[in-house]
Amino acid sequence: MLKKNLLSLFIVNVFLLIFVPLSQAFVGLCCAHCGGNMPLNIPGGGIPETHEFRFKLSQMYMEMGPLRDGTSDLDTSNLLGVPNNSTLFAAVPEEMRTYMTMGSVAYSFTDNLAGMAMLGYVRNEMDMKFNAALTTAAGGTNGFTMFSHGITDLTLLGKYRLYHDDNLAPTKQASMIFGLSLPTGSIDKQFSRNPVPGQNGTILPFRMQTGSGTVDPILGLTLQASSDPWWYGLNFKWEGHVYDNDQGYHRGQELRYDAYLMRQVHPKAVLLAEMNYWYEGKYSDEPFDQRVNGEGHLGFNPNNAFISPLNDPNNYGGHQLAVSFGFQFQPIPLHIIELIATMPIYQDLNGPQLRQDYMIQATYYVELPTKKSRRYKGFKPPKELGF
Amino acid sequence: MRNLLESIILMAALFLGPFGTSVWAVQQSFENMGITKPRTEKPAPDFSLQDIKGNKVSLEDFRGKSILLNFWATWCEACKEEMPSMQRLYERLSGQGVEVVAISIDRRNFDRIKEYAEQYKLTFPILWDPDQKVRKHYYIMGLPTTYLIGPEGKLRGYASGARVWDSPDSIQALTSLKEKM
Repeated sequence: MLKKNLLSLFIVNVFLLIFVPLSQAFVGLCCAHCGGNMPLNIPGGGIPETHEFRFKLSQMYMEMGPLRDGTSDLDTSNLLGVPNNSTLFAAVPEEMRTYMTMGSVAYSFTDNLAGMAMLGYVRNEMDMKFNAALTTAAGGTNGFTMFSHGITDLTLLGKYRLYHDDNLAPTKQASMIFGLSLPTGSIDKQFSRNPVPGQNGTILPFRMQTGSGTVDPILGLTLQASSDPWWYGLNFKWEGHVYDNDQGYHRGQELRYDAYLMRQVHPKAVLLAEMNYWYEGKYSDEPFDQRVNGEGHLGFNPNNAFISPLNDPNNYGGHQLAVSFGFQFQPIPLHIIELIATMPIYQDLNGPQLRQDYMIQATYYVELPTKKSRRYKGFKPPKELGF
Repeated sequence: MRNLLESIILMAALFLGPFGTSVWAVQQSFENMGITKPRTEKPAPDFSLQDIKGNKVSLEDFRGKSILLNFWATWCEACKEEMPSMQRLYERLSGQGVEVVAISIDRRNFDRIKEYAEQYKLTFPILWDPDQKVRKHYYIMGLPTTYLIGPEGKLRGYASGARVWDSPDSIQALTSLKEKM
């Protein structure tokens, strides 16, 4: 699957490399009015120039584990036993790997307003360990790798600049972000590789689903500043989950704060550091397939204990503080590559649940000027000077 | 009546031919370079800025010369494309009453401007406008932006974006500034 993702990435890159140079018969104009520089992994980063498109393709890899409850790590084997809904379970996660390919397109309608759409393809693998009873039921196999894949929710975002101190080379800017996350991902992903008889075809736990199942509002604020050769800023984003999906639950509310500092070390290279804070609430309820049909419960009885901590909606969310380091590089004009690594430094989680271990993200970004772009037309001469 | 009109046009063409051809060629060079001529010729806003050698330089210092006044910044990629052609133009026409002057709008890091000039071997006057005052008087919205200024100090042309400034069209446009339009 990774090979497939990389192949897709390669094909799109080749297409853009061929397509973009064809559109470069422009006069060449430099204007930093659209936001200076921002890390591409922060919402609102990578805004194109006015009347230009921006295509962004990123590949993210995240590893999660070990288990954590509050601020303490837990050993998976200590949670295996006769299920009691709180401290012991029949199947417990040990590690998770997530591969996500994200594609996005953005367009700037004016100097102050840009719109963007983002869609991803995700592949989740979660290593599970069984207790003695499930090991027996699985014919002696003491675990397996849970698997799901599919497209994520579609995110539509707008960024509107509320304030700037200079249109050409702003040193201070404030913008609002607004948008919706649309439920193109799935909330009905099912087991397909479970060695325990009768489990395949039942609903996978929350984290293995690829969507929220609801239309979710997004609001945010970005504050950007620069002082050559530095760029820095603060970012805030809220994603609300305000009603129940078709499975009868909704995700917890999500808040995100980012602070970043970037330094230009070369005309074509920028180093960056970020501090990222996330808060996510618990899931509101069990999905219908668990709550009513008893899936995820012992004996398919909703009154029995959960098979795994993953089935409990209370074992999700919490607080996380992380640091990220990376760089941006512009090999040729209009093309930007970014690589970022993120490592948590503090996690207080509603558990037991897998904590984040580390995340790396590679992004390729290309700008595509239209005929209306100033890179073709330039600016009109000033009337004030007689033109 | 029609024959009379044709005769007048023919006579006018015979008398104005050389001059008309020249005007047409200059006009064509402005068009080919994408240089906008002013509707009303206004005096170029005056300025007095420090150059990279530490000297105070003002627009007045170039009075009597045709000027290519270019606004740029070290962070502007498009500016890098046209700088070498500006240097070649300067080497070719500086002895013929044409001056090339570049104003950097970098807010900080004066040394980087000097390094840039050394890297690209630029010998024409390079001035620094850290407070953006001159930039604002010239209504600069994007980089690079270039104004052509006549020997009498009036604005004669405007170009937004990078150009090849040592092309035959550019040389014709700049040398034509010496003539009263």
